[in-house]
Amino acid sequence: MFGGIIAEFGTRYLISIVVVTLQVSLAAVSISTLVSVVLAGVLGFGDFRGKGVLVSVINTGMGFPSVVVGLVVLLLLSNAGPVGGGFDLGLPGVGVLYSFGGVELLYTPTAMVVSQVVLATPVITSVTLSAIESVDPSIRDAAFAAGGTARDVQIAVVREARYGLVTAVLAGFGRAVSEVGSVLIVGGNIAIATGGGARVSFTRTLTTAITLEARQGNYGTGIALGVVLLTIALAVNGLGNVVRDRGRA
Amino acid sequence: MIEADAVGFGYDDDRVLRNVSLRATPGETFALIGPSGTGKTTLLRLLALFEPPDAGTVRAAGTDAWSLSNGRRVATRRRIGMVFQNRSLFSTSVAHNAGYGLAVRRSWPDRARRWLRGLVGRPPLEESVADALETVGLREAAHRPARSLSAGEAQRVAFARALATEPDVLLLDEPTSNLDPRNTALIEEAVAAARERDIAVVVATHDMQQARRIADRVGVMLDGTLIEQGPTETVFGDPDDERARKFIDGELVY
Ligand SMILES: Nc1ncnc2c1ncn2[C@@H]1O[C@H](COP(=O)(O)OP(=O)(O)OP(=O)(O)O)[C@@H](O)[C@H]1O
Ligand SMILES: [Mg+2]
Repeated sequence: MFGGIIAEFGTRYLISIVVVTLQVSLAAVSISTLVSVVLAGVLGFGDFRGKGVLVSVINTGMGFPSVVVGLVVLLLLSNAGPVGGGFDLGLPGVGVLYSFGGVELLYTPTAMVVSQVVLATPVITSVTLSAIESVDPSIRDAAFAAGGTARDVQIAVVREARYGLVTAVLAGFGRAVSEVGSVLIVGGNIAIATGGGARVSFTRTLTTAITLEARQGNYGTGIALGVVLLTIALAVNGLGNVVRDRGRA
Repeated sequence: MIEADAVGFGYDDDRVLRNVSLRATPGETFALIGPSGTGKTTLLRLLALFEPPDAGTVRAAGTDAWSLSNGRRVATRRRIGMVFQNRSLFSTSVAHNAGYGLAVRRSWPDRARRWLRGLVGRPPLEESVADALETVGLREAAHRPARSLSAGEAQRVAFARALATEPDVLLLDEPTSNLDPRNTALIEEAVAAARERDIAVVVATHDMQQARRIADRVGVMLDGTLIEQGPTETVFGDPDDERARKFIDGELVY
């Protein structure tokens, strides 16, 4: 089966799809993790008005339909949106969409990273927060009584929640790598012809490539790409489990 | 060095402590006895400066600890060590647990440097951490994960964590409540050694025989009040308070 798609696709094309998929998802998950740890820390250790509302918003965010996120990011990055440049006012959906003073963002991997950050952050934040909250209060007491400052106590609690954090990052990566709707909308599923019938992915990920193959009736190729996607997901999960088990030993 | 003066405290509305005064003196062991739920743990937490009392004052070295700036209060707290009633170890190595008190006292650059070195290899055990583990008979266990320890060993590591910072005051909350006689004897020896080093020890215990063995002074707590306190012989031999006598004779059953 793999011989088949490689022959049909070209190795370079297949690799470029995998590379784009990993680049976008890993970049998005890295950014999300930084944001999420800060956010979960503020929610887990802080006490302020509106905290409950913020937590519910984040928990709701875990189930955001990715197409809606894609649509919102599309609007934000397009001329019609607040981030878009002020060039082509008034004609919605027309022309190439510019933003940030002429830097083209829409239909680029950057736009895909933006939408995946929006999708992965609630997942990572929520799982991290519940890991922090499930740390036994005796840990806070122990850190405090040993002479820890408020900051030391927080660090001790986060360290205690470290395996929960691994789970959170894995869940975020799973959400990002397997998601189709938003990357299709803001990325456009673009592959560039490089001459001689060869192609290379620009914004085509494994998921959007599968969508395309399925729509064209190339089920065998679709399934083969699906296997590649599953393999990546399993490998990343396996790596996470190794990290967790080594820590538990 | 640490002293409660007419202290009152309540969680929410319940009055847990009423008008409690006691003083921990260097080189002296004070045993706090009393039935379950009378506020022994609550009192120790106030002495450890976890939270301010609702009434009265907690004084450290003669100064109201809650009138100090945050930084000064942290410095004051760092003269106090505490061992808790329940398991309270971090899920790291025994050495990390025992050295935690020293670790938080270091500067941030120093901590970062040690953390990076720890990624490469095992950092050497500091002398006071090694000594503290030696005192509780767990020097050999330094590189074991804390979660692999038995309850008795875990309690001894918690004790070592408090000892390693060489505190002036040691607060022990039922340090031997779920230990066998051998582990109990080890902890009691460590308390005696701390006392020799001029540490002021306050120990809450259910075990009246233990109080007799290790304490210079005893306080009997009932419903949030210290109804009797004085030298061990006096409290056990000839208590003033009728209810204290009943408690000591085992007649006051809750
Ligand atoms: N965090 C808390 N919130 C509300 N009430 C509390 C809290 N901690 C303790 N209490 C209550 O305060 C009272 C005193 O509790 P404390 O733990 O100080 O008793 P104790 O003398 O240490 O008992 P034991 O011998 O069983 O350890 C109890 O009635 C308890 O229910
Ligand atoms: Mg108690």
